Amino acid sequence: MTAVLGPERLPRSATDRQISGSSTRTATRPAVGVLGALAVVGFFATLLSLAAFHSIVVSGQFEFDRLQGRLEDGHERAQVLRAEVARLESPSRILEVANGRLGMVFPPARVYLPSVTLNDGPTNLKAPEGDPFSGSTR
Amino acid sequence: MSRQPDGLAVRGRGAGIDVPRYDAYRRFRRRAALVGVLLAGIAGLFGWRLATLQLLDPDRFVAHGELQRIKTVPLQAARGAIVDRNGVDLVLSVPRVSVWANPLQVEDPVRAARVLSSVLDADVSLLEQRLSKDSQFVWLGRQVSDETAEAVLRLGVVGVYFDEEQARVRPGGDSALAVLGRTDIDAKGISGMELVYDSLLSGTDGEKIVERGLRGVSIPGGEYSVEPATHGRTLVLTLDRALQFEAERLLIEGVELADAQGGVLVAMDPATGQILASTTVRRDEDGLVRTSSEHRAVTWTYEPGSIIKPLTFSGVLSEAVAAPETVREVPGRLEVHDATFKDTPAHDPEELTVGDIVRRSSNVGTILWARDLGSEALHEEFREFGLGSVTDLDFPGEARGILEPVGRWSGTSLPTIAIGQGVAVTPLQMLTAYATLANGGIRPAPTLVLGTRDDGGMFSPRRVRPSMTVVSAAVASEVVAMMERVVESGTGTKAQVAGYRVAGKTGTAWKPQSSGGYGSKGDRTYVASFAGFLPAEAPRLAVLVVVDEPAGHSYSGGRAAAPVFAEFARFAVRQLRIPSVDERIGLEHAGRVMAMTPARHRILTEAAEAARLEAAGATIGG
Repeated sequence: MTAVLGPERLPRSATDRQISGSSTRTATRPAVGVLGALAVVGFFATLLSLAAFHSIVVSGQFEFDRLQGRLEDGHERAQVLRAEVARLESPSRILEVANGRLGMVFPPARVYLPSVTLNDGPTNLKAPEGDPFSGSTR
Repeated sequence: MSRQPDGLAVRGRGAGIDVPRYDAYRRFRRRAALVGVLLAGIAGLFGWRLATLQLLDPDRFVAHGELQRIKTVPLQAARGAIVDRNGVDLVLSVPRVSVWANPLQVEDPVRAARVLSSVLDADVSLLEQRLSKDSQFVWLGRQVSDETAEAVLRLGVVGVYFDEEQARVRPGGDSALAVLGRTDIDAKGISGMELVYDSLLSGTDGEKIVERGLRGVSIPGGEYSVEPATHGRTLVLTLDRALQFEAERLLIEGVELADAQGGVLVAMDPATGQILASTTVRRDEDGLVRTSSEHRAVTWTYEPGSIIKPLTFSGVLSEAVAAPETVREVPGRLEVHDATFKDTPAHDPEELTVGDIVRRSSNVGTILWARDLGSEALHEEFREFGLGSVTDLDFPGEARGILEPVGRWSGTSLPTIAIGQGVAVTPLQMLTAYATLANGGIRPAPTLVLGTRDDGGMFSPRRVRPSMTVVSAAVASEVVAMMERVVESGTGTKAQVAGYRVAGKTGTAWKPQSSGGYGSKGDRTYVASFAGFLPAEAPRLAVLVVVDEPAGHSYSGGRAAAPVFAEFARFAVRQLRIPSVDERIGLEHAGRVMAMTPARHRILTEAAEAARLEAAGATIGG
């Protein structure tokens, strides 16, 4: 490294230092430092807050996507179950099971019992005593 | 402070400057400047490129970026279900997986086709052909079961993908298939109600625009808009699933028993024209009788035979040509031009009332009265009952039947048509005519649809077509009384239903031969039928049973068709909660209650609301 020789600088006298710096340096340096530090801390705190907020928003979006997916799956599942219920209730399946697995046969003649016969008026039944559905009367 | 090596120092001007080091310093500066220029050049290039991208042609790259991030997801509208009058699902859509491949990504099409064929149950050569195509998309299996899709997934064939589609399923199998119809693989209606109401059932697809990042995750705060799909409406039919199933079962039994080639059964509410059940069965080539996918109740025309006689006498009574108790001498046979008409069984000339003629189904007696009525009046009467024209059903392929204009009638047309030969009708036309008599002479508009229901469950009733008065209520009542006697003690005794007064008429028509004419005794084929309704005093159910080409001794309408009618009616009165005579007396007792299912309560409420709206509309419309 090349050095350029120049006149030697003289140090300021202690008196000078005291006169010129005592009123400004001692008052502004700490304030600037503190402000700078606060600014840096504030800056990073803001960044952190933004990151936290962003992560909350992202996780909310994840949850939203997940719930939407579940809703669609639920709709599809409900539709499949609806079809299955209709299949299980269909007379053709019931007949098939009755004839096949259960070995049931049609009766030679079906007799339909009328719910009302001539001159058979409605009978007033006596109401059950107490609560018929409570445990004590079972 | 710099250090100076010994022996290298230069004295004099410029003393203190190290020349070699100074040169090195200058070289360094030149190199630094060069590198600086180079870096500045590179930075300039980057800057120029950046400016080009950002300022000169930004749209293309913005679009490219959006293409990567913004996805348009189609929202498929679900095809509406078809339900019966009680809300029971007859047809509905369910999600199914379809398997497709990108042949350009399949490494070994031959091997892939071999392993996939066993899982997809498809032909190896067909799969191999598809997988070898110079294309990016081929179907391998449409709407496969979940198990099959999982099996394909386990194979791990590269280039094979899955897609979700809506498949149409009928939980009741082929029951009511002829009415419901079919859709193609892309869920477009191709027959039956699926075709007629395709636009209502289809709905409208929607789309979702969403901004997505890596792995398809939505970008928070990004582009997001949804145009929801409008799902297809649910079609509510007038059919009753239980009645439909029983009709199919009983008709198959009846056709088997009569050793016939097929049959049709249609049931209707005579007051509203709502069709409660409609089935067609055919004997297949393997000799088994099965339900047919052809809705022959509206597409098939046949010569109805004697079940047309109540319509003939309706004309006779309407024109005051005779009254039910009017007596006339009826010979056993009658010559008209070159044709001879006979009664079965043969009889000597005897005095018969109009009611007796109907009860005994006398051809000669009917022809005599029809001649008195006249061709014009008979033709007009049949036309008003709906013969020779399509009904209001709006079903694809519905036949008009054949009722020639009077001007084209021959000398034997009047007697022939009066007894149901030489005229062709569809089963539905015939049933509608009977429903007219049951409904006090007012012809209902037959319908298969109660209304539609939207995605939120809101029911919209179908607009009711206007009814038409064909005969007076008094005439209808007189004809019904005559038809009651047919079932009580005439040709239709096998149609009796215990506890109910039944009115009906049998028909045993000769079937036209393909070679022309009706054939001679011994090689004739018949169409046996029975049409009737009950309770006769307040009809709520009208049923027509037609048995095509019954063989053996049970070829008549009274033997082949009437028992099917009776069996069906016995079941139907329970299903429809039509009280018998005794039950109605019981219902009149004070304090009696009738149980009601939630489904029935809903239907009645909706019907009342529909009637109220209809009345309000009529009032507004004047």
